[in-house]
Order: sequence, then structure tokens, then C-alpha cells
Amino acid sequence: MARDILLAGVILAGFLGLEFTGLGSSGLLDFAIRFAIFGLLAMSLNLLIGTTGLVSFGHAAYFGMGAYSFGLLMQSGGWSIPAAIAVAILATALLALVVGALCVRLSEIYFAFLTLAFQMLLHSLILSWIGLTGGDQGLMGGIPKPAFWGIELAKPAHLAGFGMFCLLLSVVLLRQIIRSPFGAALRMLRDNPDRAGFLGLSVYRYRLAAFVIAGAFAGLSGVLMSLYVSGAFPTFAFWTTSGEAIFMIMLGGIQVFLGPLVGTAIFLLLNDWITALTEHHGLFMGTILLIITLGLRKGLLDFVMEWRAARRRAAP
Amino acid sequence: MSFTLPRRAALAGAAAITGFPRLGFTQPRQPIKVGVPTILSGRVAQLGISSRNAMQIEVDRFNAEGGLDGRPIELVVRDSRGTPAEAARLAREMISSEGCEFLLDAEASSGGFAVHEVVRETGTLTLHVNSETSSLTADPRQRFWNAFRVARQGIHDSIAGGDYASKVARARNLRRWMTVAPDYAYGRDTTAEFVEYLKHFHSEVQVVGDTWPRLFQPDYTENITRLSQGRPQAIYSCLWAGDLVTFVEQASLFGLFANSAFFAVNMADYTTLQQIRNLPRGVHSGNRYLKNFPNVPGNLDFATEYNRRFNTFPTNWSWQSATAVRLLGKAMRDAGGTTPRAVAAKLAGMRIASPFGADGHVTMRAEDQTLVGYAIGWGVTIPADPFVENMQPSNWADIFRLEAEWKRNKGWN
Amino acid sequence: MELTELAECVTSLSCLVTQSAAGLTIGMLLFLVASGLTLIFGVLGLVNFAHGSFYMMGAYFALAAYGVTESFAVAVLAGIVGAALLGLVFERFLLSRIYGQDVLMQLLVCYGIILILDDAVKIIWGADFRSMGVPDSLRHPPFIIAGGVVPYFYAILFAITAVIAAVLAFGMGRTRFGRIVRAAAINPGMVGALGINTTLVYASVFAIGAGLAGAAGALSAPIRSVVAGAGVSILIESFIVTVIGGMGSIGGALAASLILGFTRSFGSIGFPLFVEGAMFIIMALVLILRPSGLGGRRGS
Repeated sequence: MARDILLAGVILAGFLGLEFTGLGSSGLLDFAIRFAIFGLLAMSLNLLIGTTGLVSFGHAAYFGMGAYSFGLLMQSGGWSIPAAIAVAILATALLALVVGALCVRLSEIYFAFLTLAFQMLLHSLILSWIGLTGGDQGLMGGIPKPAFWGIELAKPAHLAGFGMFCLLLSVVLLRQIIRSPFGAALRMLRDNPDRAGFLGLSVYRYRLAAFVIAGAFAGLSGVLMSLYVSGAFPTFAFWTTSGEAIFMIMLGGIQVFLGPLVGTAIFLLLNDWITALTEHHGLFMGTILLIITLGLRKGLLDFVMEWRAARRRAAP
Repeated sequence: MSFTLPRRAALAGAAAITGFPRLGFTQPRQPIKVGVPTILSGRVAQLGISSRNAMQIEVDRFNAEGGLDGRPIELVVRDSRGTPAEAARLAREMISSEGCEFLLDAEASSGGFAVHEVVRETGTLTLHVNSETSSLTADPRQRFWNAFRVARQGIHDSIAGGDYASKVARARNLRRWMTVAPDYAYGRDTTAEFVEYLKHFHSEVQVVGDTWPRLFQPDYTENITRLSQGRPQAIYSCLWAGDLVTFVEQASLFGLFANSAFFAVNMADYTTLQQIRNLPRGVHSGNRYLKNFPNVPGNLDFATEYNRRFNTFPTNWSWQSATAVRLLGKAMRDAGGTTPRAVAAKLAGMRIASPFGADGHVTMRAEDQTLVGYAIGWGVTIPADPFVENMQPSNWADIFRLEAEWKRNKGWN
Repeated sequence: MELTELAECVTSLSCLVTQSAAGLTIGMLLFLVASGLTLIFGVLGLVNFAHGSFYMMGAYFALAAYGVTESFAVAVLAGIVGAALLGLVFERFLLSRIYGQDVLMQLLVCYGIILILDDAVKIIWGADFRSMGVPDSLRHPPFIIAGGVVPYFYAILFAITAVIAAVLAFGMGRTRFGRIVRAAAINPGMVGALGINTTLVYASVFAIGAGLAGAAGALSAPIRSVVAGAGVSILIESFIVTVIGGMGSIGGALAASLILGFTRSFGSIGFPLFVEGAMFIIMALVLILRPSGLGGRRGS
């Protein structure tokens, strides 16, 4: 467990170190920012999928909500970035609470359906409510990034550092949540909901809490996204974003805590590589996805961990 | 392992920069790289494909003429799949890792705004070739020295459309109007502006109802029955491409066009015209791209060459992309190099001969860095090639006057 | 809200006829897609997130066949058979490997299929949208009934979809195959023990489901543009139908499809800006009041 934290620390230090070694080209900084954004999104989704056993296909709704509420607050003027982030996360948690209250009591399949449906509802709301959201053109005119605490997010290096800090902080928080009695209860709900019910745990409340927490972290990753592209766009809340997040989790592995981060890194590299090589992006990504799901039947890190465990057992 | 790739890419980028410094001794054949973020997949793939095709024609011509002192242009085209965040990433990567000196942004409007924000930061000279959203250049807050628009603009279309429609409405006494438009920013804005100018030119027109299908809605039956209940004398629509085709096919079945005149600003584009199996006679349409409007040899040559190479006809996006390459090429030659500030200074206010111009020329207006003077007009559809007849060219003097008034009302002067 | 217009409409016979005919046709096309989805779920326990792609492929197959033969009947047949065969291939080689696995695996495999098919269509038929157009032989003036307009082609669509629905109901209810399928949905182990090849049953059910989606795609190809990525918007509505109708219930799917069809056609008169929202509200109401859906047997 502590080793994972260490690993996360090393990754962060690695990125920060790049600045000093002179390799901090903007391409690499961009990668760091995107890694922080999508890594956080994937980690938050895995709290639902891996820990709680709730397969949400509508996680992008909270990503989009975070991005839009943050962007709108900043454009309205007078808000400092930390305050706007806090409010954006709160707003996202509130949305997750409403949707979650309707969805978490449903069975697995209905849950996947309904989260998807609510996400599409939010997406068409963003498209139609042009007065507020700018519709398909997104929030136009850029998002102001006033300096705070000596941090100037308008500079890519600062934004990358800030993103990595948010990611690290969230990873530590998520780890604490999963290790707490609350996290243990979530795992029990996943593995044996009936037993948890007999023990007097409210399945509904625990799942709802997990849903809201995951939504809040997705909101933070949406905030980072809106800082990165200096705007917010309807595609943030589109089903493809959810699909990509699930893809990342699957690439890395759902049973290992940091699996989603590994998956995010692989996904981003694959994506950039395929985009540069071919315009048949879907064909390649789809094939890779099928090979991994049908061939390995688990994420890469899951596979590695099980392979190591098997080897250890085989050794005398 | 996971970090080797970007580092290697970064090293390659760094090598490219240090290997060919900006100290003035450019190697004679060193290509000028121009990045083109666009959409090559999904529902609007035609946007990117027809833009890229047209750019390639013009780039080949520029290079054949000797390029810029022997330096050819090399296009770096990438697919963002319509995702603005991906468009922003691609733009950054083109600039920082791939050594692109200019961008021809061929994204649709949302991706265009994302690229706009990137180049606002990086100061890369950028020509937006596909974003028709007026505010991109009309709103002073969106404007900065290194971004230009080489595309038609929503407000120009609306003024021209309102003017034309009012004349038809007067001649045929069409007073009851309804509108059908996709429910997103372009659809809402364009419809509101059209109605405003229609009423401006003909005050007795009444809009008695409207209907707003969702963008990319697969079926328009309910919108069509609503229109037929309203019994309008005329219908306006800014639906486009596949959605417009679906609407026209379904509306024909309901006999909607037998009772109402139809004004579809986006009909006259070959991809749309050729896909409608039984193109109704007498639909009023603005010109998106037509090979015989303007009816000049250069325009027909362009369509013929495009058809010879790609076995299809150009789109509205094609003429815009071709014009962008011509403008950029001329600006670089005039500036005698690729220094962004110098090229931008030449671009602002530049007037070039163009087969797509209303009077044989198009102008990059200096005050808001957007293209004006391009051919704009309305005509009536016929079922077979050339598909549209009786094209009435719009009057740019009127457009300029009303556009200035519109900007004043918006507080954008 | 324009409720006075709605009131005017339901009291005027002509409006009532036009809107009802439109609602019926929209609803029946939706039913074809949704019944396939619900059938596959009921028997295989699989949520086919790639169902919309079979709708899209049906449209493309029909377009290709129509281009060669100029016959609408052949085109529709090609759409159905093509989508069914494609479904069979996917079921045998991909989906059969993940039966009994969690929703996550189903989701990922289907996501992969969607990505691949959307790109494959682009490579084969080009990136541009295509349109088949209503065949000249079926292009007649609309029927005018009590002042209401019913397009000729819509009447044909309605007739064909009604026949398919009747065949489906008969096949599931009255034939040996239908009894086996229903038994397999409840207790596949027992069906297998009786010496019936469940693999074959599963494969044919999936093929039928995909064929139904393909039928909807092929039938609507003349009036809707055929384009890559068209599957997704259809999928969402089919999900809503399945939730309202009850997972696995074909009768429920029919009722729910018609409800949505009428919501669309009359909603566009009475609450034009809230048609989508109304569909979600109906779904939420059903989930709260009757979570197993209108025709559902089991609790959710």
C-alpha cells in the first residue's frame, strides 16, 4: 500500500524534475497535464467500478459539470481560482447526489443504462441552453486564470505542476477512503450485497455516498480540463468521454489501486501515436480494446499482479 | 517504459529546433510546415476531407510555382474526431513538437474556438477556414493579431438571406412564416438573424411558429407535422448536410413543399444536392459552393481539377480552404519570409484575385481580420445539374452597412 | 408550453389523424430496434450496447443492395439478412466469450465493436453521409384522411413493421422455437439438459435481434440519411423503451415504443422544447412507480 503512494510520489517528482533537466518541452508538459486530468477521471471512476462494483457509463456527466461550473464562475468575474474550484466540486457533488439517488438502487444493468441516459440528458441540455453554455461552441472567450498563492496557471509549467498536485492529493484521499471502514463496507457491498444487508449496512446509502464522492473527484478533473483548454465543451459530457475513461481503467486494471493511472498513461500514448499514424483511429483502438478484453480478460496491471502471484505460489 | 515515447518525441522536437535555427540561414529546400487540425471521422468527416483536398490542390500549385524561394509548403493534417480538447492538444503538438510555423485551422466551430485559445497563447499565425460563427471575429474580445478567418460568416449569410427572402415574399405575398432549425448555437443564432433581417426588409412578415429538432436528430417527422399544422406560406431552415437531406425527404412525403415555399440557406452544396434523390424544384437556397457561381473560368477550373483528383465535387469548406492557402502563400511571398508578425501585417487588408470573389476578388478585412467580398447569393433549385438556377448575387454594400449596424447594437465597435 | 395548441390539435380530427399516423410510424420503427435489444437481454442476459451499430449496418447494407438492384424489397431483405449474419459472426467470435461476465466486460466489447464498425463503414462507403431516397415506385401523393396527412410511404412502413411485429409475437408465443427461447431465458441449464443445443439458441436469438435492428435501419434508409455514428442516437431511445417496457418484455417494448412515438408527435405540438425531457420524465416515473417496467416480470 505505502509502496503505491511512493510510486505516485516518484511519478510526480519525475514530472517536476523534468523542468530542471531542461526536458520540460511544452509537449511533455501537455502530456503531464492530460495525464493528471484523465488519470484523476479514471481513478474516480474506479472507485465506482473497481471498489463498489457499480459500472457507470455516465461518469462524463460529472466531468462536464465540473468543467462548466468552474468555467462559468471564472467568467462571471470576481472569483478566485480556489474558491471557484471548491464551488464547482460542490455543484458536481450535488448533481451526482440527485442522479445517484435515482440510480444506485437499481440493478447492475439498469444502473449502466440510466447513468448513460442522464449523461445524454445533460449533454443535450448543454447544447440547448445556449444563453448559459454557448451551446456547441462551448464557453467562449477563454477562462481567466488570476494568480493565487504565487501560482500562475496561465503558464503551462505551473498548470502541469498544479494538475499533478491535484492528482497526487486525490490519489492519497481516495486511498484513505478505500482503506477506511467505509471503503471496506463498499467492497463488501460489491462482493456480497446480501450479506452486507444482513449486517445492517444500508446498501443504498453506502452506494450513494460512493457515487457522490466519485462524482466530486470527476468534477475536479473537469475543472483541470477547463483550465487546460481554457473553455468547456459539450463533448466533455458526451458518452465517448465515459467510454474512454472505462477504456483507460480496463487497460490498466481495476483490482490494483493505481491500475487506472497506468491505464491512463498507456491510453494517452496509444491515442497520440495512433492519431499521428492514421486517420482510422476507431479501427485501431477498437481492435486493441477487443484484444485486451477478450485476450487478457483483465487489465494489464491485474494480469501482471496475478502472474506474479502465481509465480510466487509455484516457487517452493 | 511508459514515458519513453514522449521524451523521444520531445528530443526529436528539440533536435528539429536546434538543427534548423531561426538565425536566418534557412536551408533552401526546408519545407514550411503548416498544421491542419480538423475532423476526418464521424458524422462531419466530409468537413476535414474536403478541406484537406482543396488545400492540397493549392499547396501543390504553390510548390510547383517554386514555393517561397524554393521552400515548399508541407501540410500536417491530423484528426481531432470533433473533440475540442483533442483539437487543442493537436494544435499545441503541431506547434511545439512538429515544428509547424502556421496553422490552417479546419475545425468546426467548437474545435475552432479551442484552437483559437491555444494560438492566443502561443502567438502562432492561424487562419480559421471553417468557423462561420460571427462572434469569432466580430466580438473584439475574441480578436488578436495572429488569428484570421477565411470563411463565410453567419451574419453575412443572414443579411443576404433576409434581403433575398423579403423580395420573394413581397412578389409572392408570403406573410406567414415558420422556421425549423437545429437546436444549437449556430441554428439559434442564424435563424434569429435571418428573421430579424427578413422583417427589416419586409415589415409585414410574421413568424407564426418555430420548431427546434435536436442536432443530428435521426427523424424529423414530428417537426414536419408541426410545420404542416401551422400552415405557413413559407418555411426557413438552416439545417445542413445529412440532416437537411433527411428533412427534405420526409417533408416531401408529407407534401409540405406543395403548400409552402422553402428557404434553405445550406442547400446549395454538392454533397447535399447530389444526395437528395428527388430534389424538389423551386427550393430557395443560398450558395454554399457552386461551380457556376460566380460563373467564371477559374471557379469551373477549380471544380474540374478537384473532381479529376478526388472524384467528387468541392464543398463550401473547399473554397474556403483553397482561399486560405492562396492568402497565406501570397502573404509569405510579400513578406519575404515566414516571420509571423510580418506575414500577419501583410495579411491584414490583403486583397487578392479569386474565382470565389463577388467581383473577382476577395479581401481580408483589416479591422476584424475576416474574409469579405466573397461570392454570396441565392437561387432556386432544379432537379438536375447544375441544380440551382437564377442565382441572384447579394449586394455587399448592403451587407457592410447592416453588419456595421448589427455590431453597433451588440456593442462590438 | 403551448398547451392551447395541443388542445386545439386533439379536438381537430385532421390534426389528430396526422399526428397519430406520425406517432405510430415513429413508434413502430423504434419498436423494431428496441425489441431486438430487449430480446437479446431477456435470453442472453447481455446488454448489447452495440445494438445501434446493427441499425446502422442494416441501413448501409440496404443502401448497397438498392444501388445494385434498384429494388426496395431486396434492399430491406439485404438489410435484415446482412445485419443478422453480422450479428451471428460477432456473437460467435466475440460476445459468446463473455457470457455470464459482468456488465463491464459487455460494455467494453460492445464499445470496441462500435469503434470498429463506425470506421469500417467509413472505409467501405466513404465518410460522407448517404441517402437512398424513396424509390420512385413508392413515391405517391399522401393519403388525406379527414383532412389529416398520411404519407404513402409511412403507411407502407407501418404495414411492414406491423407484419414483422406480428411474426415476432407469433414466433415467440406459438412455435417450438419460441418456447425453447423462453425456456432458455428462465433456465438455460434445464434447456441444455433436455438435449437442446443452447449455443445454437443463443446464436439464433442474437442474430434475430441484430436482424430486427437491421430491419429498422433498412426500412428507414429511404427517409433518413445514412451516416456513420447514426447508431448511438437510436440506442439511447431504445434504452429508454427497454426501461419503460421492462427488460426482456417484447409486449412492454411495443407499448413503450408507441408511448414514445406519440410523445414525440403530440409533444412537438404541445411542448416542442420539452419533448426529450418528457421522455426522460416518463422513464423516471416508471422507474419510481414500477421499477420492473410496464411488461416486466421480475423486480429490478
